[in-house]
Amino acid sequence: MQTPTRIDLNPPQQQVVERGLLTSGFNCIIQMPTGAGKTWLAEQAILATLRNDQRAVYLTPLRALANELVDKWKRLFDGFEVGVFTGEYGQHQAYPVPFDRARLLVMTPERLDACTRHWRSHWGWLPEVGLLVVDELHLLGDPGRGPRLEGAILRARRLNPFLQLLGLSATLGNRGELAEWLAGVHFVSDWRPIPVAWRCTRYQRATDKPRILHEEVDRCIAAGGQSLVFVQSRRRAEALASGLAKLGLAAGHHHAGLDSNERTRLEQEFRSGHLRVLVSTGTLEMGLNLPARQVVLYDLQTFDGSDFVPLSTNTVWQRAGRAGRRGLDTQGEVVLLAPSWDRTADQYARGQFDRVLSGLSDQAALSEQLLADVSSGLARTRSQLKRAFQMSLAAHQHRLPPVDQTINEMVAAGMMIESNEEGSRNTVVLKATRLGRIAVRQMLAPSTVVSLAKAFRSSPDGAEPVLTFLDILLICGQTKDCEPLIPVDFEELEDLSSKLAREYSTLLSGDHSAVTARFHVSGRRLLAVIKTALVARQWTRSGDPDGTAETFGCYAFEVRRLAESFERLLTAASSVVSPTKDNNRDSDDEYLRALLDEGPPLHERMKALTSMVANGLDEQTVTLTFVSGLGPKLASRLRDAGITDIEALALAEPDELGKLRGVSRCRAVRWIEEAAALIQRRSALAFREVGTKARSSTAAWPVEVNQYRLRRALDLNVRQQGEGFEVSGGLEPHRVRLEVGKLGCDCGDFAKGETCKHLLAVRLNQQDPILARLVKRLQSAACSRELDLHRLWFEGKQ
Amino acid sequence: MKTSGMLPSSLITAHGPIRLPAYVPVTTFGDKYPLDDLVRPYLPRLAHAAMVSFHYAKQMRERPSLPLLVDSGGFASLFQNAVVRKIGGLGVLETTTDGKKETLHPRDVLDFQEQHADVAFTLDFPVPPAMSNREGRRRLSLTVANARWAIENRRRKDMLLFACVQGWDVDSYATCAKAYSKLTFDGIAIGGLVPRVRDFPQVLRIIEAVRAAVPDKPLHVFGLGKPGIVEVLFKNGVQSVDSSSYVKLAADGRFWGQTSLHLPDASPTERLHLALCNLAVAAQRTLPLSASHLVFGSQWWDRMVPAASAGG
Repeated sequence: MQTPTRIDLNPPQQQVVERGLLTSGFNCIIQMPTGAGKTWLAEQAILATLRNDQRAVYLTPLRALANELVDKWKRLFDGFEVGVFTGEYGQHQAYPVPFDRARLLVMTPERLDACTRHWRSHWGWLPEVGLLVVDELHLLGDPGRGPRLEGAILRARRLNPFLQLLGLSATLGNRGELAEWLAGVHFVSDWRPIPVAWRCTRYQRATDKPRILHEEVDRCIAAGGQSLVFVQSRRRAEALASGLAKLGLAAGHHHAGLDSNERTRLEQEFRSGHLRVLVSTGTLEMGLNLPARQVVLYDLQTFDGSDFVPLSTNTVWQRAGRAGRRGLDTQGEVVLLAPSWDRTADQYARGQFDRVLSGLSDQAALSEQLLADVSSGLARTRSQLKRAFQMSLAAHQHRLPPVDQTINEMVAAGMMIESNEEGSRNTVVLKATRLGRIAVRQMLAPSTVVSLAKAFRSSPDGAEPVLTFLDILLICGQTKDCEPLIPVDFEELEDLSSKLAREYSTLLSGDHSAVTARFHVSGRRLLAVIKTALVARQWTRSGDPDGTAETFGCYAFEVRRLAESFERLLTAASSVVSPTKDNNRDSDDEYLRALLDEGPPLHERMKALTSMVANGLDEQTVTLTFVSGLGPKLASRLRDAGITDIEALALAEPDELGKLRGVSRCRAVRWIEEAAALIQRRSALAFREVGTKARSSTAAWPVEVNQYRLRRALDLNVRQQGEGFEVSGGLEPHRVRLEVGKLGCDCGDFAKGETCKHLLAVRLNQQDPILARLVKRLQSAACSRELDLHRLWFEGKQ
Repeated sequence: MKTSGMLPSSLITAHGPIRLPAYVPVTTFGDKYPLDDLVRPYLPRLAHAAMVSFHYAKQMRERPSLPLLVDSGGFASLFQNAVVRKIGGLGVLETTTDGKKETLHPRDVLDFQEQHADVAFTLDFPVPPAMSNREGRRRLSLTVANARWAIENRRRKDMLLFACVQGWDVDSYATCAKAYSKLTFDGIAIGGLVPRVRDFPQVLRIIEAVRAAVPDKPLHVFGLGKPGIVEVLFKNGVQSVDSSSYVKLAADGRFWGQTSLHLPDASPTERLHLALCNLAVAAQRTLPLSASHLVFGSQWWDRMVPAASAGG
């Protein structure tokens, strides 16, 4: 690797090098805008570490970016082995370059968390790490991923006191505070390779936005530039891109749902200049390198899972960071499309980034990390735990929840045990219970495992309803660790109901109240859980992520990520219900009885389901994998050849079977024998689903006022503003004003002559008696003998 | 105290040079001292070599990445269940545990050392202060016999072999050392000084006598590793010392700078940090800045309380 000459370094890089910040030995935080050369600085630090015969770890939150970097670094750090460790956590995987051999380890924060939890298995390389680079350091403030990153950093530093940390970010509101927490130094520069001009373009009505966009983009392209447009949803990205294309512009749309080939093609076309406009959701903002002269933020809101919220300054700047191509543009341009009545958009340009607040300030997140420490043997008593977490960012910010109380709750929930230590001392020690260890092993929140245990462990009297595969998926799906949850649109409810009608489910049978009482989520979240479970079930039937995605209106990558998520949950659930060694004789007899009578016990079905979900196999094909040496790929091949389950295998002819690719006659004979032996114990039919089907309904509605819009209106928030109202909570905020004696709205629906939902919302807000009566009619469930999906939708976001 | 100008500035071993004077931390393998497992990967950062006793070395599964000194385990002859026998002219250690008898022959020691050690120490038998002169002389003669046997039977050329010197007073130590003066050992090691350390001038006289008897070979002293003492030893003709105190104190939650205080209920990683600080202090190495939170963090100081028994 060549060391660049002084001339090649840009001003902030020069400053960092001159001040010796990377070689000082102190922990260091560097804040520089996107594209200003942070990665190069990280590479220098890594190279120095590798040359010093030490290992380096680089953390990045995006798997795609990790893989990109590794390809680049394998060439750059020639002579040093580079390993990448992302993907499923908790699974045993054979990595091309194993941990012990890699000198530079690229991984996600979750992977490092897993490694530090099981540090004894990684003791061959952890102590040799000299440098830990944390890219996107602001991730510490993310409620979901931040705590795992923080836990990983804390444990890594305790296990390896010689570790030097290098934190990188473009958007830190409290860099100094973070540097203090790490007892290190920090550096900031706002130098950008290309200067950037910020501008707010205002619109009166939302319907004006496409026209404004076209003007902006057109002007940019005519001057020889390219434009990157960020929008809040995939549908909008597709719609706008095709709209612009129809007007003669070379436009394309980019979002997370594209497969990697499509994405690569699009990105190449944009880089080469064939594409002039790229409309995208937020995926580009994280690290992938696609600058353009102009960046337009078409929407200043984003969907956070349940609601639309304004974009954070951090996000706006991460997107704006794309503006200006080195060597091609003299200036970059950032355009924000903001409503005329809202002045808050002006503050984005000031660049006051949010203060990164530790995610460990959430008690549930703290529980998970406390449990991880206890389970991994790094802390055994309350005072040890307290001292360990005093070093956290949360504690530094005085936001750490009370540790004692959190421990008490975990003991009460059965995740930890507190007992006197064996021996003469009067010490009280903490240990993880079997449930606790399952949570730590599978990287699940303690509450998730508690929820699984409650749902799956049999009651003392033994009279349990038989849970179908869908039921098991529903129970897993309602935990907070199931992601992504596929949201449900109002328009889908009927379709969802008919899909449900084809499924066997004990949990979803019964009247509305009985069914909803079985779950601890409700409303739209429950709808999403139901849909997500259906997606997973469909995946097991078809093994086809694209087809499944198409059927349910989601993305293939979501189906795959879902499968991973369920696999983890099911593995944990299997551990929770599997008989332990310390079973007494009574439960052994019960077990035998169950074997002979009912059908496979719950844990066997769960194991089968785990394999079904992991490999996209249905309940018949999965029985083939019970034969040792018969893996999922071979099982699919057998199924395609007509051997659909283990009974068919037992009856197969060895010669016929031996003709299949990958199957020798000798193997075939062995398999057939084993299959025959297995079906003595259990019939394959036993895995077929029986029982009640899930029945649900979408009740009939009155016609006076458009019910669809009225329902929508119930979700909106109305705020008085001057002489009119601001109605928010939908895709866009809108203004309703008194015009010529009547209420008028600035939305497209109203412009078409409809009584739009915003108007209805305002009327409801003003206590319109007619509407209030109608709403009451809608809400009283006429028929609650079944699960009423519309009623769930009503209950709102939960 | 003059030493011969012929003494090397480092020991060249198969796994790298050991710069002299060297402070060699002791480590163990197996389940008895789990803290050693935590500490061991970090030893190369703070030391040039590690010492392990034959008994623990047998349980070694993975060789550490720094030069390894392996002593004979003859120390066990001090235990109640041990007997030193003369068999074939050599000193053999016989120990009985749970009715089972185990013998340790110089051949067993040398074979193992030739497989794993960079620096080997001959099978010796310390003479505790309370022992009778007769028994002391017997042990001394067997110590010398074992050493002579080892130098004649050493096969590996690149393994350094140190002859062990024992005794009970200045004269006996000198006599033992003189027995080695014409032989081709790579160094001399003095044992049995730990129980005698209270009379430090006596210790120095012993060292001086041994030095005078063998002026031209590197001199190692077993077990004396306390900061303060080590500097004096190095000034008085000793080239290397070994000690396990750094980790024993840490296991107790103690810091070498302040042995009257201790951290009650230290977690495994806190003990690791203490051990590393202790080793750095003893070996006079600096800890990296990233570890500054160990020494300067108020975490410990606030929580250290007077130890039950002061002193380390």
